[in-house]
Amino acid sequence: MRILRALVLVAVAALFALPLWFVLSASLHKEGAGLGLGALAPPADPQWHNYALALERMGGFARFLANTLLVTVLSILGQCFTCSLAGYAFARLSFRGRDALFVCVLAAMMLPDQTSALPRFLLFRTLGLVDSYWPLVLPTVLGGAPFFIFLFRQYFLSLPAELDEAARMDGCSAWQAYWRVFLPLARPMLATVALITFLATWNDFWAPLVYVLSPEKRTLTLALASFQRTFDTSVELLMAASAVILAPCVLVYFLAQRLFLRGIRVAASKG
Amino acid sequence: MPAAMTLALLLSVLVGMGASGASNGRELVVMAEEGHLTAWLEIEALSRAFEHEHPGLSVRCLPLGGAAGSQDKPKFLIAGGVPLDLLRIDVTELAAYAGEGALVDLAPYFAADPSWDERAYFPAVLGALHGPRGELWGLPSTFTPYVMYVNLDRLSELGLARPASDWTWHDFRALARRATTDDDGDGRTDRYGVSLTQWLQAVCPWIWQAGGELIDSKGERARMGEPEFVESMRFLHALLHEDKVASFDASFANQLTQGLFQGGKALFYGPVGYWETYRFRSIERFRWDVVQLPRGKRAATSVAMTVYVVPRTAREPELAYEFLRRLAGPEYQRMLARIGNGVPGLIAAAESADFLKPEVAPESEQVFLDVLREARLQPPVANWRKIESLVQAELEGILLQPDCDVPAACARMAAKTDEYLARERERGGRARLPRGALELAVGGALLGLLALFLVKRGARPAARERRRERAALALLVPWASGFVLFLLGPALVALVLALCEWSPLRPLDDVRWAGLDNLARLGGDATFASSLGATALYAALCVPLGLALAFGLALLLRRESRATSLVRTACYLPAIVAPVIVAALWRLALDAEHGPVNECLRALGLGAPAWLRDPAWVVPSFVLVSLWSVGAQMLVFVAALQALDPALEEAARVDGAGPLARHWHVVLPQLGPVLLFNLLTGLVAAAQIFAQPYVMTQGGPGDASRFLVLYVYESAFQHFDVGYACALAWVLFAALAAACGLLFVGTRRFVHYRGRSA
Repeated sequence: MRILRALVLVAVAALFALPLWFVLSASLHKEGAGLGLGALAPPADPQWHNYALALERMGGFARFLANTLLVTVLSILGQCFTCSLAGYAFARLSFRGRDALFVCVLAAMMLPDQTSALPRFLLFRTLGLVDSYWPLVLPTVLGGAPFFIFLFRQYFLSLPAELDEAARMDGCSAWQAYWRVFLPLARPMLATVALITFLATWNDFWAPLVYVLSPEKRTLTLALASFQRTFDTSVELLMAASAVILAPCVLVYFLAQRLFLRGIRVAASKG
Repeated sequence: MPAAMTLALLLSVLVGMGASGASNGRELVVMAEEGHLTAWLEIEALSRAFEHEHPGLSVRCLPLGGAAGSQDKPKFLIAGGVPLDLLRIDVTELAAYAGEGALVDLAPYFAADPSWDERAYFPAVLGALHGPRGELWGLPSTFTPYVMYVNLDRLSELGLARPASDWTWHDFRALARRATTDDDGDGRTDRYGVSLTQWLQAVCPWIWQAGGELIDSKGERARMGEPEFVESMRFLHALLHEDKVASFDASFANQLTQGLFQGGKALFYGPVGYWETYRFRSIERFRWDVVQLPRGKRAATSVAMTVYVVPRTAREPELAYEFLRRLAGPEYQRMLARIGNGVPGLIAAAESADFLKPEVAPESEQVFLDVLREARLQPPVANWRKIESLVQAELEGILLQPDCDVPAACARMAAKTDEYLARERERGGRARLPRGALELAVGGALLGLLALFLVKRGARPAARERRRERAALALLVPWASGFVLFLLGPALVALVLALCEWSPLRPLDDVRWAGLDNLARLGGDATFASSLGATALYAALCVPLGLALAFGLALLLRRESRATSLVRTACYLPAIVAPVIVAALWRLALDAEHGPVNECLRALGLGAPAWLRDPAWVVPSFVLVSLWSVGAQMLVFVAALQALDPALEEAARVDGAGPLARHWHVVLPQLGPVLLFNLLTGLVAAAQIFAQPYVMTQGGPGDASRFLVLYVYESAFQHFDVGYACALAWVLFAALAAACGLLFVGTRRFVHYRGRSA
């Protein structure tokens, strides 16, 4: 029974990890080796210099990395702050119309993004913010993702009622109670939201595609896309570049897995 | 506090706006990337030289890249009025750009330029750039007529002579029959006579050769039901399904795998353009060349081309014209010829050794120039892309389905196209929306919603309570301001646009009032019906299967140990990878001929479906892809399972309940809220599937995977029909909201919350 379970585990892991293995293995093949099933077999002579070549061909990797990091960090801070604040207000404070507003949060989840993409672009254009990072970051600081607001609300609902009273006894305002008492308690949730935001922003292609114009302001995914030219891209280099962009995601996830699960656990237990 | 911060942020954005808005000096913005590193470096060098000649001017080259979606970026920029002086577009979009008034007519500039000599360019090519009233919209970058590629070694292996330049359909069919062989005698064809291309531009030559037409010369009536047209379709259908001498090359749809021709498994490949020579030069196993297409009643071929144009948002049209002449000038054109980008539009460059390249294959580059005599461009109708999308579904039906009723399919094509053309004619008569009406309507709606909220929220409480309420609402300011600005506001704009007619290539003050027409069209739109069906089928398959798989994996991985944590990471990996990369990988994996999935199935002796190419299998293919990204849902289940009280399960075990009964009666009921959560988020995600079909199938085969959001996107950016796109999006939103509401209410009986209700 244990052996069977171990076998199943290995099979499951292999099945899900296969494509990543493919990216890695293909990135180490000789240029022009082609990409059939053959790319799945590890090469006899790994071409590590594919990586150096790919980064060089991208033209300004360090700069794109810095751009991506800037956007990602700002987005994470924005999401964590705004969503936790809104989640706190919806969970712990009472005011008229609260439920109606919360329905608005949920309804926003169902609006396909493509609907508002064009009007939103026109808005940012009117504000003169095209070709800056504002359109990528501002909607996280103002607004936030409905899903995260929902998660924070669930989390704050799970905390004991005595906390509010204790804060009120100490003379805290709603803002102070949030900042001093509730936010520090929300650490697992913050980690969860930060991780998901990291992955989404790091991998985002559409928003940078639409809003970033200048070559030097490109993010990594955008640089990868313009690297992917019709005629002279070798697939091996493309895979090497993809692997470089993927690596931090895998690493961050692996390191943050514990906190991540804890955050989800609290939200899940309250449904 | 948060309210003050929000205010400060908005202010700083506004201040920063003033600073960035005032750029000093003149600037020329060029978006003309060729998809080639050498060309990119060359255009940069050209820009520096141009700057040197024009002191005080800076030339900014914007990269575009070859990735999905890049060709739609200029439409955002033009819609937003972002300055853009020079643009490279595909000629299939030229009529739409010009028709919407998005381009500057360069005819006066050419007339005033003593150095301009139109005889320097191929007349057939330049003809495509002329408007109906004598406009000249731009100059060609490179172009390519469609020709046939032939495997010379295979030809001599079969003892056949190379086709003459005036070979016919009959010759073609005979050669293809000879070259179709089952080499290992297993009853499956190993080598085909021809690997056919299947997009409309590549099918046009057959239609024209048979004497058929897509549309009449005025662009008013579809001619797809006529006998000549039907004959050409019958010919292709017979090659594929009666003679069985043809297949499709996977290579165009999937650049990562070797196609049939490249693998030496097809004698002919085409009709296809010059771009394939670039890839085929790496073929070492056999010699190959290009030949004219076989002729039917007459000789004909179509042309693919990219052109340089000056959009109406140009701030420096005069300088843009000058720069455009450089790009279409001898040096740059010869460079394009050298790197193998296509046939240069400039005759001198095309006839130079830079293009004809005697030293490398194909031997007969001259063929690309010879066939120009019989080459034709698409009919100058408003929107080729739209016609293509209307026709493509039926066309793929004819090509892919053995039992297709060809004349009936042609008649359906004609009917759809006629309906579209009639609508186009109607368009000019619509009234313009008054200036500011859109803003007013949206502003009014927002105020109305606010008033509704204030009135409906209940009775006014005591003063102390009101103070607390204000403090609470202050905390919601960052969320609310963003919600209104970036979600509700744009969504309301979309709602108003759903009642209008607008193309993103026109300025926003040229919105025309259409009333309920867009909604009325939904009822008769077969594409909408099939896209609704595909989306519903996809959701109905992937939501329950996803839940089951996620739950099963979670049960397997619920205990905390080093091994499970590793396996969990592995399962979550697909969710980490960018959707675009995921889609590219799956397209490779599901390739019908050479994909690893099918190779495994065949090795196991199972049937191998054509996955993405089979209308019946394409939706299940996407379900498969989505199941593979089930990691996030699994984690939610794992977390929920870990939060359960183990005592309950233990008690059940002591009472003698088996593992199945324990899970069914004890574990599952406790997971009600989590199940509902995963169900709702899964449904929302499934209904909005976009990136995968956009990269993997573009909605095909036929309309089989044209999911709703994809259709919304195509309507807006490829058919330039924003009003209809908005109507579609709102219908989707309403349907989704209704479905979620029903689920929520319907499951209330089964979902038990512990403690406080959600």
